[in-house]
Amino acid sequence: MTVWTPTDDGFADLTSHDTFAAGAPHNTFARLRREDPVHWTEWDAGQGFWSITRHQDITEMNRNPAVFSSARGIRMEDQTYEEYLARRTFQETDPPEHMMTRIKVAKAFSKPVVAEFESDIRELCDDILDQVLETREFDATKAIARQLPMRMLGRILGTPEEDLPWLVEKGDALIANTDPDFTTHVLDKMTTDEFRMMPFNSPAGADLYQYAKELMAKKSAAGDTNGVLHLILQPGKDGSVITEEEFRNFFCLLVAAGNDTTRYSIAAGIQAMCHQPELLRQMQTEDIWETAPDEIIRWATPALYFRRTATQDVEMHGKTIRAGDKVLYWFSSANRDETVFADPFHVDLSRSPNKHLAFGQGGPHICLGMWLARLEVRVLFQELAKRIKSIEATGPHKFLRSNFVGGIKELPVRVVPN
Amino acid sequence: MHVTWKLPDGSDISADVADGINMMEAAVAHNVPGVLGDCGGNLSCATCHVYVAADWVEKTGDIGDFEEAMLDVTEAERRRPASRLSCQIVARAALDGLVLEVPKP
Repeated sequence: MTVWTPTDDGFADLTSHDTFAAGAPHNTFARLRREDPVHWTEWDAGQGFWSITRHQDITEMNRNPAVFSSARGIRMEDQTYEEYLARRTFQETDPPEHMMTRIKVAKAFSKPVVAEFESDIRELCDDILDQVLETREFDATKAIARQLPMRMLGRILGTPEEDLPWLVEKGDALIANTDPDFTTHVLDKMTTDEFRMMPFNSPAGADLYQYAKELMAKKSAAGDTNGVLHLILQPGKDGSVITEEEFRNFFCLLVAAGNDTTRYSIAAGIQAMCHQPELLRQMQTEDIWETAPDEIIRWATPALYFRRTATQDVEMHGKTIRAGDKVLYWFSSANRDETVFADPFHVDLSRSPNKHLAFGQGGPHICLGMWLARLEVRVLFQELAKRIKSIEATGPHKFLRSNFVGGIKELPVRVVPN
Repeated sequence: MHVTWKLPDGSDISADVADGINMMEAAVAHNVPGVLGDCGGNLSCATCHVYVAADWVEKTGDIGDFEEAMLDVTEAERRRPASRLSCQIVARAALDGLVLEVPKP
């Protein structure tokens, strides 16, 4: 049984957030992979852009940041140079500058360091699941998927537990800045000019900045060096120190990107369990935990695309990408590429190899938090599978209104606990 | 050039690699388990960490600054003097016969 079938007509408007509110337009992506793998989209609201949809093309281009640069913006939307400078994080830099920042936090997110969180994560899962399974029907995104990454975020940042709901609400307002359920300042529906120098054009960016400043002041007064924030403030080997703006933006990046992507991976995994009942049985009886997290994350692909900008003219599949053109890598499409994944719309927890690109594999911007994400996903599903006999959907799920973050924001389910 | 990967389970994988291809790309192309190359050779992930066999350490050249930093921060527990990121070792005639050991997971 398939988990979910795309309904777009094969010619969806990729610039429209409403398109993605019905789920990623996979019929369109399939057509583009087949017929027009370097596809130009004209756009009223900004400069047009190229869409790259094949797994192989994205893999080849992504390894080459000198030709396809991150340092002019990473979203579809245009930014002035001034806005870009004010809002950029190390996501919007190229090597070697990118490495200077990344190296400061790489250890904190490395596989062996992250592995030490396993028992913490299991405790949090115990807590979350024991509470939620007191009821039989609930929204699995809110009750389960949202909870674990939010509470882990507190451990990573070293923030007080009681601040977490507020932080996550602000993080949502940033990253889901096109969904009226998450922000009062919907990006494409009203002017957000006042906030154009803030992360994600959002007033939540200003709130988070203020919070980060106060938090660091409190922590330094108390001599508290828990969490990753103090790491980013340390001078680099060359003595360079992060600016206030860069710190603010890094904090916002952790709160936003470090949170909802894992949430939507967990939500997509639960959605798959509802429609492929054999998944629960496999989780309970088979040795699939080496491969299952990556398959769930492939299925989810929360980062639908990232943008690059060509630094020189490039010929590809009969098209000419000009220097200065925006180029979108649609990871969402690559992860359903039938030339790489057998039966791509089927969740196969033992899929191996699984060369999915959900973490931006193949390029310098490979997800910093990927080991943490895999670990959270594995432990959550191990603990969930131990506790239930069955799980089913009680209504249609709802997708986020965003062409940037793919996620199930509402997922009504019914479970039968053990 | 010819290269051999020695795996933690005691088995070997060998391949002929064209000049200019790096050892991470070669390992991924030949499905060498334990060499992932997640960042495409951009020194951002350290998932292509290998140990160079003693006879080959000098011939494979010096460790660069970022390579040094990545090995240091992310692979500290597994690091040895012969540790390299295999994306930084590029195939050339002088390396014909190279032997690389894949670290235990």
